[in-house]
Amino acid sequence: MRSYIARRIAYAVLTFFGITVVVFALIHSVPGDPISFYIGRAGGVTLSRTGLEAIRRAHHLDRPLVVQYGWWLKGVVTLDFGTSILDGRPVVDRIAEKLPNTFLLNLLAFLVAAAIGIPVGLWSANKPGRLFDRGSAVTFFLLYSLPSFWVALLMMKLFAVKLNWLPLFGMTSDDYLDYSTAGRVIDRIRHMILPVATLTYSQLAIFARFSRSATTDVIRQDFITTARAKGAGNSVVLWRHAFRNALIPIITLLGLTVPYLISGSVIVEQIFQWDGIGHLYFESILGRDYPMIMALSVATAIVTLLAGLAADVLYAFADPRIRLGESSR
Amino acid sequence: MKRTDLFAPVWRRFRRSRLAIAALIYIALVSLIALFAPLIATNGTKALVPFAPNDAQLVDRLQPPSVVHRLGTDELGRDILSRMIHGARVSLTIGLTATLISLIVGSLLGALAGYYGGAIDWIVSRLIEIVLCFPFLFLVLGIVALFRPSMTTLMIALGLTSWTTEARFVRGEFLRIRELEFAQAARASGARDVRIIFRHLLPNAFAPVLVAASFGVAAAILTESALSFLGVGVSVPTASWGSILASAEENIDYAWWMVVFPGLAIFLTVAAFNVIGDRFRDALDPRFE
Repeated sequence: MRSYIARRIAYAVLTFFGITVVVFALIHSVPGDPISFYIGRAGGVTLSRTGLEAIRRAHHLDRPLVVQYGWWLKGVVTLDFGTSILDGRPVVDRIAEKLPNTFLLNLLAFLVAAAIGIPVGLWSANKPGRLFDRGSAVTFFLLYSLPSFWVALLMMKLFAVKLNWLPLFGMTSDDYLDYSTAGRVIDRIRHMILPVATLTYSQLAIFARFSRSATTDVIRQDFITTARAKGAGNSVVLWRHAFRNALIPIITLLGLTVPYLISGSVIVEQIFQWDGIGHLYFESILGRDYPMIMALSVATAIVTLLAGLAADVLYAFADPRIRLGESSR
Repeated sequence: MKRTDLFAPVWRRFRRSRLAIAALIYIALVSLIALFAPLIATNGTKALVPFAPNDAQLVDRLQPPSVVHRLGTDELGRDILSRMIHGARVSLTIGLTATLISLIVGSLLGALAGYYGGAIDWIVSRLIEIVLCFPFLFLVLGIVALFRPSMTTLMIALGLTSWTTEARFVRGEFLRIRELEFAQAARASGARDVRIIFRHLLPNAFAPVLVAASFGVAAAILTESALSFLGVGVSVPTASWGSILASAEENIDYAWWMVVFPGLAIFLTVAAFNVIGDRFRDALDPRFE
């Protein structure tokens, strides 16, 4: 067990370095440095030559690449990603500011998708081939093929423009500050409904499919037959015996869906003007805010890495077969 | 044994799904439309759709669907149907080329890892782990926006970020079949590694890779349209399904036709490739019978 986890962590550290090298190499293979891009954009404003050099030096852009990488890696490890080129504020501060907004959306989407997808998968596995199983499989399959930005547009058109039930975009209404506390909470929830729904629907397919196959594997096993033979009712067998065992492989979904959710955030936050990480990333891409792009790329990759690591470790804890299988090697 | 003998039962099982056949026909149809787009939708009374995709008629801006403009016009008075027909070209070209790139890169790396094992396998496996850590859209968005956005950049960015599925499939298959009798026989007869990999092993590992490729085309088309929607995909004024939706967002208050039709085209095409991949996978695996 301990050796298994130690090995996973060692690989994770290695992958971490790989991630930083990839990001650094990618950014620096782009033609032109951020400063020259800035001049192209600034138009009328002319910076003096010495002023430019000063900015370059401040961002270590005048040093050899290996040195630049070293500087940057030291920053990554100490969580100092430098300052944003766009507004001069520390990159970490800006990310920390937006992170809760993204986290809230994604957590809600994850929970809703799990709450709907897992039971559906379970029921499908219980009666394979029946109408419910086939119907839900087709439905989720189609949902999975829907472009999220289209779904978002359709929902905006229907619920915000046509029916006027929900706000079109943003995180709060313009007159948010005039509301009472309860009014503010309701206002925030109303703004969250459409983005969360957009993030949720394609996750549903993954959850349903995964829990269906996990449950199907469990239901075939002897202890389920034993439970039925004892005379346990169908729902008891399903929820008490099958569900708990099917949950174990579902843990791995934790690691699988995180990068998926982060990708989805870019589109959803852009459409709904949600002030989160995805929105920030897109802005920095357009403005070539190198420190910010590098920080966000590395940070999201590390979050994915940690989620995968956490899923593997949890899995090993939950399923004795894994850790015993490892230690007997 | 001939290859057709292996494929016949797979095709027979695949054919049984009416949905899969419908998807195939749909893809064939869209491909034809894309191929002949310059003839179908162009200026001139003889054309089926008598409007060029970038032909702006400001007088006719934001017209709802009618006999003249069958799917309406956008905010510059351009015919939506014509733009969608030309958009099919963009979507399919990018989807297929990107997948071809990931197929080549993935198969090659997967084959090397699976055939030689050891250090090469270790390196390829770590590389896959690293690439998988990046949220797909983050990475593609980064590459596309930092380099000049164009169809070529898009195809390369999509291809170079999505090869991991193919690589894992090929690697797994190679690990399974490299010690089988036919591989050993080839080795015993003195064939070189290159010949064994490309002539003997790769054709046998190809079916699951084609499944991955079908899903890959769907994902590439989805991502391309998302990027064009965000404004960092194919450059304006090139018509793309995603870019029509982007201008639809600005006119969401009334121009429903700009929202509905291009989205439907993306959805149907993506779903068709997904259905083909799904049913092909089932057909390859006789346990589903």
